[in-house]
Amino acid sequence: MEAVAQQIPLEHFLVLSAILFSLGVYGVLTRRNAVLILMSVELMLNAASINMVAFAAYAAPERAVVIGIVFAVFIITVAAAEVGLALAIILRVFRNRGTANVDEVDQLKW
Amino acid sequence: MPEELNLDYSLLTPEFCLAGLAALVFALDLFAPRFRKEWLPYLTAAGLVAILGLSFGWANKESDFAGLLSVDNYTTFFRVFFMATAAAVALASAQFVPARLRHPGEYYGLLVLSTIGAIYMAAARELLTAYISLELLSFSLYVLVSYAKFDPRSNEGGMKYMLLGAFSSALFLYGLSLIYGSAGSTFYADIASAYAGGTEEFDLGLLMGLVLVLAGLGFKVAAVPFHMWTPDAYEGAPLPITAYLSATSKAAGFALLLRLFSSAFLPVLDDWQWMFAALAALTMVLGNLVALQQHNIKRLLAYSSIGQVGYMLMAVAALSSATASALLLHLSGYVITNLAAFTCIIAWNNLTGKEEIADFRGMAERAPLLAASLTAALFSLAGMPLFAGFLTKFLLFQAVAEEGFLWLSVIAVVMSLVSLYYYLMVIKELYISQPEEPGRLPVPALVNGLAVALVVGVFYVGIFPRHLFEAAQEATKLLFA
Repeated sequence: MEAVAQQIPLEHFLVLSAILFSLGVYGVLTRRNAVLILMSVELMLNAASINMVAFAAYAAPERAVVIGIVFAVFIITVAAAEVGLALAIILRVFRNRGTANVDEVDQLKW
Repeated sequence: MPEELNLDYSLLTPEFCLAGLAALVFALDLFAPRFRKEWLPYLTAAGLVAILGLSFGWANKESDFAGLLSVDNYTTFFRVFFMATAAAVALASAQFVPARLRHPGEYYGLLVLSTIGAIYMAAARELLTAYISLELLSFSLYVLVSYAKFDPRSNEGGMKYMLLGAFSSALFLYGLSLIYGSAGSTFYADIASAYAGGTEEFDLGLLMGLVLVLAGLGFKVAAVPFHMWTPDAYEGAPLPITAYLSATSKAAGFALLLRLFSSAFLPVLDDWQWMFAALAALTMVLGNLVALQQHNIKRLLAYSSIGQVGYMLMAVAALSSATASALLLHLSGYVITNLAAFTCIIAWNNLTGKEEIADFRGMAERAPLLAASLTAALFSLAGMPLFAGFLTKFLLFQAVAEEGFLWLSVIAVVMSLVSLYYYLMVIKELYISQPEEPGRLPVPALVNGLAVALVVGVFYVGIFPRHLFEAAQEATKLLFA
């Protein structure tokens, strides 16, 4: 870990995760298809994981290193569960309405 | 991180029992074809009440599990609170579920599982634990909101809730990662001590982290401008789940907010206080004004609950031990009142199948007891004297004003007056308009009993608040120790 730290500064990881996060937010706000929105949310979650692992390797005090890594594992697990659940609900919408585009699913408003 | 881990599993007994109850309900539905499905709600409610009694065993004790979960009076308060809410919702679903939904076992099982998530949100004193509990509650609710499989409105409400919920969790997580990087730990106590000396220079990581955490939790409690999912999820969800959303999901969000911001972020109060104050003002004004033009009772109560969230956010903005205990009291009064209102609405919906405000006309003739209970609940929500809403709002607004946020209290009082208008519009339909068809409706005795019990609770909190207020004070005392 020491050798890596000398070559790549922490900022590189943070910038990478910030770009991923922003792409995710952009995707959530612009995509029409529910599945693509879900993919964008996954990007945001991965950005958080990268942050966690990078902070664990570089910035955290000795006794808190493991927290960041465990956190990243939990994020991956929860993200997997979330996709399963979300796809099931989107599938129901698609079966009943014949579309998974969020702007066409508009029975409820105001 | 504590040096010595206290791995005393007996501290978590009530939640183990809840998990067992959920497993029992699932198994009975799946493997016992002879078991009468109509008994499931009563079994669930009885189990919840029994475990609720058990959890009083931890009253006035102070301990923690491995530094991750506190078991103190705050946790005990919310254990009792969430289990009582879930039991009331289970009873209120007894007629609704067999008529409208399939697979009752999973319905009641998920209700119990989401209660565990809500309890741990209140008990958590570490960010990862808080996050996992939040997701346990949210995932159960995503399924429950879209539970009416063949009803497109339920699917749509569930999809919107789930997509925005996932988005807000991602915001929340990214915020947590920034706070972990800035403070170097995820334990509330360590975060507080990391910032104890004050931050010397401008800490962008902390500020961004706070904004994102606030946005993520703002979605969960439905604060403006993160409230867009609320009316849709409320309207789409099966009625008892709408009641549950308005009670447990909100209260759990505030339980988490209160412990997080009082025990981890209190040293950096100046960084986040203005955010909460701005959110509270926006939420109160927008929630109450948009409620004025609703014609569906579920959407009306959704916007009214957004308005209530504004009052509660005010207490977090003016955080002190006085406002925290006033917030707990207001939450309890609000939840009892809302459950009373929803019990009546669910019963009316079971008998007539309608949920527009105009469809409630003449309820006073067709189901007088329900109409009277609904009126009491709506008056309490509006904050009329003698009802719970008046007293809890009074104490809350007063505590907030004493902390130097007089302008917020003034907005809150004005908005309470506005809210009276739309509650009175419903009451007008109940009492003054003529019914569509004459004749009494056969309201089941149990529903009448539940409604009356909840209305008695509303009056009890409104007239003799001492016991509940003392419990709230005991619960919040340790947060500021």
